[in-house]
Amino acid sequence: MNTVKLYLRSMQMLMKSQLQYPVSFLMQTLAQLVMEGGEFMAVLLIVDRFDHLNQWTPGNLYFFFGMMSVTFYLTEIFGRGITGNFPSLVRTGQLDTLLLRPRGIVTQVLCSAVDPRRVACVAVGVAALILGSRQSAVQWTTGKALAMAEAILFGVLLILGLFLIEAIFCIHSVKSIELVNAITYGGRSACQYPVDIFPRPLRLLFTIAAPFALTLHVPSAYILGKPLYGWPAWTAFVSPAAGGVLFLMLYLLFARAMRYYRSTGS
Amino acid sequence: MMKAYLSAFRMRWKMELQYRGAVVGGFVCQVFFGLILVSLYRALYAGKPQSLPIESVTTYVWLQQAFFRMILSSDPDLANRIRTGDIAYDLCRPLQLYGYYYARILAQKLLGSLLRAAPMLVFAACLPRGWGLVLPASLPALAVALLGLVLGLLCVCTLENITVGITMRTLDPRGVQAMLNLLMTTLSGNILPLTLFPDSWQKAITLLPYAQLLDAPIRLYSGQYALAQAPRALLVQAVWTVILLGLGLLLWQKNQKRLIVQGG
Repeated sequence: MNTVKLYLRSMQMLMKSQLQYPVSFLMQTLAQLVMEGGEFMAVLLIVDRFDHLNQWTPGNLYFFFGMMSVTFYLTEIFGRGITGNFPSLVRTGQLDTLLLRPRGIVTQVLCSAVDPRRVACVAVGVAALILGSRQSAVQWTTGKALAMAEAILFGVLLILGLFLIEAIFCIHSVKSIELVNAITYGGRSACQYPVDIFPRPLRLLFTIAAPFALTLHVPSAYILGKPLYGWPAWTAFVSPAAGGVLFLMLYLLFARAMRYYRSTGS
Repeated sequence: MMKAYLSAFRMRWKMELQYRGAVVGGFVCQVFFGLILVSLYRALYAGKPQSLPIESVTTYVWLQQAFFRMILSSDPDLANRIRTGDIAYDLCRPLQLYGYYYARILAQKLLGSLLRAAPMLVFAACLPRGWGLVLPASLPALAVALLGLVLGLLCVCTLENITVGITMRTLDPRGVQAMLNLLMTTLSGNILPLTLFPDSWQKAITLLPYAQLLDAPIRLYSGQYALAQAPRALLVQAVWTVILLGLGLLLWQKNQKRLIVQGG
C-alpha cells in the first residue's frame, strides 16, 4: 500500500513541476491533439471511402480506435518512466542512484516520470469511444462496463510489459533498440483496427505473442455484440488477463536482467 | 564559398554513416509498419474495390515507407545549440547560417533515406503483386519521378529550416516543431495515402506544400500524373521550394538580428 502512496505522491509532484511552464505545456498538448486527431481523421477518411471493413461498421471501427488510444495513452501518461525514460536512465547512469534506494526498480522508474500532455490523445480516444458506441447503438449494461474497465486495465499492463522488452534489451546493450518499436508502436497502429482483418501471421502475432486481441479486441467485440472469432461471452472477461500474464512474465525477466546490469559509469 | 557548404554536407554525411545498426533496426520496423498498412488496405479493398487499383496503393505505401526518413528526421543538434546558446559559435563562422544548416539537413535527409530506401525498395519489389511495389508506369515516368524526388528533397529541407527558424524564437522545439512535423505526416500521405483522401479534396490537398515532398513524385512514378501533366507537377514543386526558401531566408535573417544567445 505504501508503494501506491509513494507513486501517487510522485505523480502529484511531477504534475506540478510540469505545469510550471503553462504555455509550453499547452503548446505540447496541442501538438499531441494534432497528432492523435490526424490518426483519427485517417479512420474517418477510410470510412468515407470504404463504408465498412468486413463485418465491422464505421461505429465499430471508431470504438476499436477509441479503446486503443485510451489504453495506449493512459499507459504513456502514467508509465512514462518505462515507455520513454528508461533508455536514457541507463545511458546516463542515473539508474545507479535508484539501485541504492530501498524500493523496487520498476516502482522507482514508474515514479520518475509522468507525461500529462498525452491527455489530449486520451481525449480523442474518449471522443471516438462515445461516437463509436452511439453509432453502434451499444446497450450498456454493468457487465459491459465491467468488461471495458477490465480491458483498459489489463491493456495498460500489456503495453507496459511490451515496453519492458525494450528496457531489458537496454540493460544488455545500453543503446535503445529501434526494433522493439515494431511491437509497441506497430502493435498500436495495427490493433487500432479489429485483429480479424489481418492475414493469419499478423493475427497470430497480435493474439499470442503481443496479445492485443485477447486484451482489447475480445472485450470490445463483446461490447459491440459481435463476438470476435465467434467466442462465447464469458471469454470477454477472462481473455484480457493475458495482458496481466504478459506483464508478470516480463517483470520477472526484467528482474533477472537487472542482475546483469553494469553501470555505464560517469 | 561553395566549398564550405559542401564540407558541412560531407561531415554530416559521414556522421550519418556511423549509425548502421540503427539503420537495420529501422528497416525491420519500417517493413513491419508497411506490411500492416498493406494488409489493412487489402482488407478494405476486399470489401469495396476502388477505381484506383490496389497495386497503386501498395506501391504508394512502400515508397512512403522507403523515404520515411526524408520526411521525418530533424537535426537534434541544432535544437540543442539553440537552447544552450552554442549557436553563437556558428554565428562566428564566415558562412551564411541558413546555407550552412541547409547543407547539413540535406545530407542527413539524403543519406538517411538512401540507406533505408535501397533495401526497402528491393524488399518491396520482391513481394507478390497486390502486396508489393510495382514497376513505374514507364521509363520516362521514372525519370520525371526521380526529378520530382530531388525537388521534394530540396523542398522538405526548406520546410525544415522554417521550423528551425521558429524554434530559434520559441527556444522550445517540442511545441511548434512537433506540431508542424505531425501536420506533415498527415498531409504528406504518410498515415493515409493522399490518393485515398476524398476525391473532392484532391485538388486542394495536392497544391499544399506537404504534397510536394513525396506525394507528387509517387504519383509521377505510378502514372497517376500522366506524362503530359508532369511539367505542371514539377513546376508546382519548384515554385513551393522557391517560396519556402525565400520565407525561410527572411525568417532567419530577422532572427539573426534579434537573436538572444542563451546560456553562459
